[in-house]
Amino acid sequence: MKRLDWRVLSGPRVSRRTLMQMAMATGAFGFAQWLSACAGGEATPTAAPAAGATPQAAQPTPGGTTPATAATPAGEARRGGTLRLGYGIGQILTLDPAQVTQGIVAGELVANIFSSLVQFDQQLGLVPDLAEDWEVSQDGTEYTFHLRDGLKFHNGDPLLAQDFIYTYERTTNPDFASPHANKLNLVTSITAPDELTLVIKLSEPYAPFLATACSRGPGRALTPISKRAIDEMGDEQFGLTPVGCGPFMVVPESVEVGRGFRMVAFEDWYGGRPLLDEIVVQIIPEPSSRISALEAGDVDMLDIVPASGVEQIRANDRITMVEAPGTNWIGLTMNYTRPPWDNLDARMAVSKAINRQEFIDKALFGLAVPSIGAIAPAFGWVYVPPEEWGENPQGYNLEEAKALAEKAGLRGTSVKILSSAQDPRPEEVLRTMLQEIGLDVQIEQLQDAAYNERWEAGDYDMNINGSVVDADPDDGHWNFFHSQGPWNTYGYNNPRVDELLEGTRRTNNQDERREMWHEIQRILQQDVAYAFLYHTPDRTAFYTYVKGYVAIPEMRYMETVWLDR
Amino acid sequence: MTQYIVRRLIHSVFIVWGCATLVFFMIRLIPGDPVLQMLGPEYTPEAAEALRHKLGLDQPIYVQYLKWFSSVLRGDLGDSIATGETVVGAIKTGFPKTLSITVLSFLIALAIALPAGIVAALRRNSVIDYLVSILAFAGVSMPGFWFGIILIILFAVQLRWLPAVGYASLTQDGFWPWLSHLLLPSLAVGTGYAAILMRFVRAGLLEVLGMDYVRTARAKGLAEWTVIARHALRNALIPVVTVAGIQLALLLSGTVVIETVFSIRGLGRILVGAIFDKDYPIVQGVILLIAVIFVMANLIVDIIYTFLDPRIRYG
Repeated sequence: MKRLDWRVLSGPRVSRRTLMQMAMATGAFGFAQWLSACAGGEATPTAAPAAGATPQAAQPTPGGTTPATAATPAGEARRGGTLRLGYGIGQILTLDPAQVTQGIVAGELVANIFSSLVQFDQQLGLVPDLAEDWEVSQDGTEYTFHLRDGLKFHNGDPLLAQDFIYTYERTTNPDFASPHANKLNLVTSITAPDELTLVIKLSEPYAPFLATACSRGPGRALTPISKRAIDEMGDEQFGLTPVGCGPFMVVPESVEVGRGFRMVAFEDWYGGRPLLDEIVVQIIPEPSSRISALEAGDVDMLDIVPASGVEQIRANDRITMVEAPGTNWIGLTMNYTRPPWDNLDARMAVSKAINRQEFIDKALFGLAVPSIGAIAPAFGWVYVPPEEWGENPQGYNLEEAKALAEKAGLRGTSVKILSSAQDPRPEEVLRTMLQEIGLDVQIEQLQDAAYNERWEAGDYDMNINGSVVDADPDDGHWNFFHSQGPWNTYGYNNPRVDELLEGTRRTNNQDERREMWHEIQRILQQDVAYAFLYHTPDRTAFYTYVKGYVAIPEMRYMETVWLDR
Repeated sequence: MTQYIVRRLIHSVFIVWGCATLVFFMIRLIPGDPVLQMLGPEYTPEAAEALRHKLGLDQPIYVQYLKWFSSVLRGDLGDSIATGETVVGAIKTGFPKTLSITVLSFLIALAIALPAGIVAALRRNSVIDYLVSILAFAGVSMPGFWFGIILIILFAVQLRWLPAVGYASLTQDGFWPWLSHLLLPSLAVGTGYAAILMRFVRAGLLEVLGMDYVRTARAKGLAEWTVIARHALRNALIPVVTVAGIQLALLLSGTVVIETVFSIRGLGRILVGAIFDKDYPIVQGVILLIAVIFVMANLIVDIIYTFLDPRIRYG
């Protein structure tokens, strides 16, 4: 490997391109791909319009779908008002950054309550948050952050370098059992030479460190925690009524588990008071109720639009929907270790019997795109749409499917499909389709926890799953298709795929990597490692009077949002 | 009477204890590890071990049971595994909502069932009777959640008269916000309940109207309304009260579903969420409370009998 100068990661601005290059140079491909996937910028030609270096404003079309990079024009931003956010989750388990495992809570709520050392811009580059500047040593193992002067926690206490040391100790305390402690594994020391300077030393260079441990939202491990707040209320209570340092403060008395909470503007936020006075987070777990609540005007915005309501929302000209290409893939697993799935003909028969578009129309309201592999559409630099890919051996062909099923003796075979979904519609549609080749599919529905245990143990015939909120093709491939992949519980083992997957981690030549991914995709199709089904896009929606929303993939930074009414 | 009530109360304690114990062990038989569920996919074995120890789940099950049981006796139901809130706190926020919906739907059910049932009985085999019967059938057959969604689409989305989801507190937000959030869910639950009650009001009244004492009352020259209200209805209500008591279960389980449709976090949604999260303390606490409610409701029904029919005596 050529000698790297890690100082390129120094602040006050690091572009996504730099982050990607450094990440790739060190083999942190997952992270690099996540950046490229989320950005929708130059690396993803599918997401138009490509935004420039500064957040570019584009007029959203009422009633239509707006590309993810669009932001409402700043115009005459007005202060004041309450935004009611309909939030699709069963319950928020905790708001303590170090304990949050629910991805949407981290990106959409914690990011508004807490600032961190750095934050993302629209192109997923890093820009200053609490640190106004930072330097990375030439060898990439020493990070020096210069904090802004006069930072405050929501309880009025000053926020200083020492607070990060406390946060580090809290997150890494084994008794505290933070699920994010592993992101600090490489830290060998954390010191504060003075109140505004923080020095973190790593045992080895690690390019994604800033984004995975120090960023606003995802960087939960080092999101600063007020020691006094913890001393006063304890860890449990802090998870309910956290004292943060971001643009919005939680109103403790408004917090009701399972119902939601209110956050009000924090006057002393370093970036200035946010435009909204207040955000009411209202939990609405039931998808159809969430749609009704938006249409009835009970809420002004939905964090994520459920598939069942997309058509309805699209038809409503008072509501804007923002849509981004998906970073996910979903497919059907057939367990190689169990007959009949140890037989390629049997797997191929199943895959060929599934009409992907019909499946999407019937099971998903037509709101997904057919999949031919595990490369998600958001990875524009490597993704090839089905119509441009050419021959896909897994593709729908009922005649061939029937012949293969006959050859493999599938007719009359009874298999179970394991499901954890509350709505087993996809499984039911599959069952109907697979009846065509004489396969008797029974649906076994389980609760999440039980499902996960069975899945981890490889105790199933078939199930529908895949990789979601993907950082990159590496995430969605290695875990599932490498013989040692943690989520390869169905016994797939192809030495050539292993070799190629390892290869994509070794090279940082983007063209070479693209070729490798494509070869992997061809092998996976031929092997029917999965019968690939579909990809879903990411959607959010709000009334047209909600202005100033800046779409940062997977984040909802709300300080720029204002109400025009 | 007092002796009877005391005896029933003592029985009740055992019933509730049996219920709670059964649930304690049954919930642990459901596959799935609450610790792994909480930590998410990126957990480390060390973190899992630490959390398991913190929650006391690394101890033998009988030790867990004894610990839990002795804290219950002291009035401490423990803390939620998933959210850390106290079980008592969760019940305190959830119970008023479920109670509000239950009471309001009960009132709505009575307001529909009594007049409709009386009219149907008095105008037996008339068009009105048939109409009421058909509506009753429709009411019984209609799933509450479906009716709830229809109500939302009509009154919230189309007409925009009432909010689609959520709950407002009577004490903090005021009477109208409270009532407006409750009307649709209560209507959704109450209608099915009304349909059942109405059948019993009609049947009970028809039976009583054929009795000698009703004929006597009429023969005395009493006004028809007095005959119905004072003499007939009172006796006709005994089966209705029985059914009302038994069907409280229906009302509560209907509320569970309706709370999900209307995104109200009452006891029902707390319980369902806790079952999914393997949140043992919450499940145990809420079921304990529901058991108490059921036992008490049955006791109250039995006591009400004595007021409706002085011939019923418990000794």
